[in-house]
Amino acid sequence: MLQVQNIEKYYGGKNNVTQALDRVSFDVEAGEFLTIMGASGSGKTTLLNCISTIDTISAGKLLLDGVNIADLSEEELAKFRRERLGFVFQDFNLLDTLTIEENIGLALSLNHQDPGTVQSRVRDIAQKLGITDILPKFPYQVSGGQKQRTAVARAMVAGQSLLLADEPTGALDSKASKNLLEIMTTMNRDMGATILMVTHDAYSASYAKRVLFLKDGRVFNELLRGDRGRSVFYHEILDVLATLGGDVSDVI
Amino acid sequence: MSVTLSKLSLRNAQRQARDYLVYFVTIVMAAALLYSFNGLVFSSEVHTLSSGMNQLPMVIVLSSIAVVCIFGWLVSYATGFMLSRRSRELGIYILIGLTNKQVARLFFLENLAVGGGALALGLVLGGLLYQALRAILFAMFGLTYHFSLTLSLRAVGLTLCYFALIYLHALRKSRKRIRKMKIYDLIYFDRQNEGAVIRAGKLRRWMFAASIILGMAGTVFLMAGDLIIGIIGAGCLIAALFGFFLSFASGVPAFFEKCPAQKYQGQTLLIFRSLTAKLSTMGVLMAVISMILTATLLVEGSGLVFNGIFRGRSAESACFDLYIGVGDGRNPAVYVDYINDNIPVERALEYNVYESGSTQIMDYLEGQYYYYSYDQDPALCYSDYTALRALAGYQTVELEPEGYLIHCMPYLERLLNDYDQPLRLGDRTLSPSGMYTEHLSQSYGTANGRGYILVIPDEVAEGLPVHHWAYAARTAQPVPEEQFYDLWEINDRTGSGLASNTIVTRASEEAEVAVQTSLFVFPMFYLALALTMTAATILTIQQLSETERYRRQFVLLRKLGMARQEMERALGRQFTIYYAMPAIPPVLVGVPFIFHLAQLPEPGIMVGMRSPLAIVMIALGLFFLIYAIYILLAYTSLKRNVISA
Repeated sequence: MLQVQNIEKYYGGKNNVTQALDRVSFDVEAGEFLTIMGASGSGKTTLLNCISTIDTISAGKLLLDGVNIADLSEEELAKFRRERLGFVFQDFNLLDTLTIEENIGLALSLNHQDPGTVQSRVRDIAQKLGITDILPKFPYQVSGGQKQRTAVARAMVAGQSLLLADEPTGALDSKASKNLLEIMTTMNRDMGATILMVTHDAYSASYAKRVLFLKDGRVFNELLRGDRGRSVFYHEILDVLATLGGDVSDVI
Repeated sequence: MSVTLSKLSLRNAQRQARDYLVYFVTIVMAAALLYSFNGLVFSSEVHTLSSGMNQLPMVIVLSSIAVVCIFGWLVSYATGFMLSRRSRELGIYILIGLTNKQVARLFFLENLAVGGGALALGLVLGGLLYQALRAILFAMFGLTYHFSLTLSLRAVGLTLCYFALIYLHALRKSRKRIRKMKIYDLIYFDRQNEGAVIRAGKLRRWMFAASIILGMAGTVFLMAGDLIIGIIGAGCLIAALFGFFLSFASGVPAFFEKCPAQKYQGQTLLIFRSLTAKLSTMGVLMAVISMILTATLLVEGSGLVFNGIFRGRSAESACFDLYIGVGDGRNPAVYVDYINDNIPVERALEYNVYESGSTQIMDYLEGQYYYYSYDQDPALCYSDYTALRALAGYQTVELEPEGYLIHCMPYLERLLNDYDQPLRLGDRTLSPSGMYTEHLSQSYGTANGRGYILVIPDEVAEGLPVHHWAYAARTAQPVPEEQFYDLWEINDRTGSGLASNTIVTRASEEAEVAVQTSLFVFPMFYLALALTMTAATILTIQQLSETERYRRQFVLLRKLGMARQEMERALGRQFTIYYAMPAIPPVLVGVPFIFHLAQLPEPGIMVGMRSPLAIVMIALGLFFLIYAIYILLAYTSLKRNVISA
């Protein structure tokens, strides 16, 4: 579904160039749940920004369903984002002047969907995510976990094919985090949603089917969960992180 | 500590001037306006323009007091608003160990610095503005203007007093507020705002529906054209205004709850939610702003109507340098003797205005206009008419041997153009041979007819009874004010003192227009300008204070795939509705009012650029011009910071 081929990303001017990504390559299959891990400054958020077309790459190719993202105009990129990509951010990024229902419906409205069907589609997805009760409320009236489930609903409601999550559990307590990750797993398993999540939390990463480790802008390692249980996979992730060095405190 | 505090105040003042540039510019303009008008109060040169100008200082001081109240409210509101916006920062000052008293002093000093800076800049700008006012006054009095930049210390002193009043009132209020505040209230002030968003209720929804109905009824009443019903209509609109703005944040969501499909149409969701969020916290303020804008439009319109009346009346009478009409049968020689002895005349004409013996035109016009003082159609003989035209500088016109002409004021032109009846005077029948409408002093009882006059062959006029004696002259110099008063004194001394006699000089008419304009129109525009600037500034600082929230919103929308063009469109629409909402009621109230007011003066003077329709259009143009400047400033700033960032 997504092919990342030798992408590089440089920041800065003439005398001060920083390489954020260094020949990163990997593929994401349809229906996969992939996590990218790495320490602060390893380039994981840059990578996510490039995939989400918010940032541009300096070299290499990014293909989504065979379409090279670099070939698209600004208009086409906007269309691409609203039709194909769904976003979940660490700080929820809901609009505080809109109700929960309207925040979810906004994604459909931006996609110029039939206004008559918006409400019923919003209710369908809200039911799946267990947030029907809070639909008429405003974001500041609900909990962090509910906000994040709202963000997931917004990211999926318009039938987006790839869900990009940037530290989705970063602002949640452990119970809300577990709940959200289980919901994401269900969506991946039962609804076939393709998920690409960026995190530095090993517990969150253990819900994925595959984990890529970034260090200094390069792919350092890759772990496949296979048939192993989640807790075994979790410990394997911790082992890899220990070899990465310096970030054990981040993951415990 | 005090050094640090004053440095901090100065830095904050600079930041405040930058962040609230529109407000700062308005305060500079306020200082400039106050100073320039104060300049007129203390200018001895202005007082010598005419004896009528003696009242100008009093009128301007009274207007300035009103303007000080208006700007005082603006500064008080803006200071309070900035205090709320910066509550977290002020809370942090207290958190790190400053006392409430010190924070209050800090806030006081920084506002004083902003006010002082604005005043200094305003005085410089006001100096130039004063010159502009001087130039306008000189032009109105027909004098040559010479630029001379002077600083009036007394005007500076008065402006300083006004500014001290404005600022001390506002700062005293905020000092009280800061002293009472607790750290928690300051740091979490924004949460109090959020709570207000959810205020909804059945009552408010009913209020919303009722205000819409009341607003529609009010508009219909206003359009009915009747004064009493119009006043009731205006009352309905004001009630609707408050009801609408107070209930908008509850009423519109209630409407969309019933029709969800409408809500998700295009950019409706984003636009209406941004507006309801804003109006839920500033409903009363929006209604007050709408009232201020209504007052602005009414004051501007009234100013233009007054201006039209003064100019309209003068234009007709000021076509000769000197005109005298004596209708009480006394000997006119006393006037002529005085003129010959005192006023250098280039060319003069003594003539009679006759009673034609016919009432044909009068009968034709009857019922259409009420403004006549003749029993019969007045008439001039052709040779006098030709001489009068030459005196006024108009081209000579021909009269056929058995014809008659009509000379009328422009308002009768359309009506009399259709008149094609022959005129029967004794045994002669004259056929219509033309109509002319140049100004010919036709608005008094003892002028060249009232509204219209017939021009007939000399031999036909011979033997007709004289209605009054008349004298018109072109003088070498404009007739001075003293000589004009001398002529009136002769009139009062020698005759019955009847007001039916007419003595008009071009110079006195022009001076009177200039005096009346200075006394009535200048203060009205002064007030209107202060009102518009205040309303537009408050709307703009409210809008620009949301910049950061809009910026975050549009960054998110961009990530969600909203195209830049669509974002610009959404922002533009949101902006248009936000600024249009308080401006619609003023238009609904103002237009019928001004139209009605402009129709009240006697016929014949509100024509051309002074016609009711033209005055309404000019008033609307002026009103939206100043408003548009603020909208443009706010929009470019918001677009630059929100979308282009």
